[in-house]
Amino acid sequence: MAMRSQVYEWDGSRDTPIAAAQIGQSVSIFIGGFGNNITKPAETTATQFCVIEDVGCDPTMYGGSGAAVTTGIVNGLRSYVQVRINTTDYFLDPDNIGNDGIPGSASPYPRTVAVQPTFTLYPDVYVLPGQTWDVLYKFYEGTPATATDPSQAFVKYTLYDGPDALIANKLLEMGISVNPGNVDWYKRTLISGAHSA
Amino acid sequence: MAMRSQIYEWANLAVSGSNSSIRRVTGSAAVAISPDTDTDIFIGGIGNNITKPAETTATQFVVIEDIATSPWNGSAVQVRINTTDYFQNPDVTDQNGIPGLASPYPRGAPSTATGTDNVLSSFSLYPDVYVLPGQTWSVIYRCRSTVSGSSAGTTTGVAAFVKYTLYDGPDALIANKLLELGVTVNPNNVDWYKRTLIEQQHSAAVSGGTQ
Repeated sequence: MAMRSQVYEWDGSRDTPIAAAQIGQSVSIFIGGFGNNITKPAETTATQFCVIEDVGCDPTMYGGSGAAVTTGIVNGLRSYVQVRINTTDYFLDPDNIGNDGIPGSASPYPRTVAVQPTFTLYPDVYVLPGQTWDVLYKFYEGTPATATDPSQAFVKYTLYDGPDALIANKLLEMGISVNPGNVDWYKRTLISGAHSA
Repeated sequence: MAMRSQIYEWANLAVSGSNSSIRRVTGSAAVAISPDTDTDIFIGGIGNNITKPAETTATQFVVIEDIATSPWNGSAVQVRINTTDYFQNPDVTDQNGIPGLASPYPRGAPSTATGTDNVLSSFSLYPDVYVLPGQTWSVIYRCRSTVSGSSAGTTTGVAAFVKYTLYDGPDALIANKLLELGVTVNPNNVDWYKRTLIEQQHSAAVSGGTQ
């Protein structure tokens, strides 16, 4: 298959669990050394095109925490996920400085009836051929990777390979959103053009 | 990238002993907020802030697509463009803006700080709010009852959230053009306008070649 829907789930409690010492530090969910990892950085080859369509992580719930907890956080780690392409962070603050990324409270993983998403990643994030990409997890409060405060992240992307990656590049040049529907539409246009010729 | 989905999240959390901090910090504590006072979530001096007001350059165009805040303590968020508040009462007087009960953050947060219910959104920001090139914008948080800080007997955390799309460079020019045409500025329509330009160029090249 030349277009494939893909997911990656990171669980910070697996293998080497993410530690409290990592507080305030960005950890790659692919090769960060904590939780389940893969063998090498996520990257596209010259014949691949990747479209990141959703990211999420464990949510935080603010509220009345009583006098003992001074943060006003009822549960959660104040977690965020940032997308990095090569060395550039995708999400910026309004003063043009890279921020922590999408809060788990805005894009919770898992989604539950009690915590639903406020954020959808649109327009999507494109990873062009030959680029390296990463999803960075960061938390600011609490003890991570516990039963009550799990550290989890999720990314959903579509991988275009071979001819479909070429079409994806062509769509990008034409200013058309890269998605499976538009790639199919471009193929149909080529086929009908060839028939009419 | 010339069109980027962006977010900003604010909470009344700052480094312990201080009212605000630039960006988020570890070891933070909740800061008290007085009722019926404006707090700019970007540079208001409470919670996590940034270094300067949110503003668009001459080659940027911002479309604010969603705002939300904690539902408790009568919290509300208002969008301010330059010095003008976006949400007004029917008699054209000022109001606090979108209540957290109508647009809760996170979606599913309880209606009171210690509640166990789940509030869902009654509000969607449509049509979107446009911030034109060269304008300054802010999101103002207000509460109707005091938000207690960590030094009080109880600690209350509140947060606010804004989702926007930043159009930069050529895409900002297209966004301005769409605005002139009365077409909604969104990524689909910007793509549509680009395709139209490409088609026009193609047909001009073809007609030029046949003459």
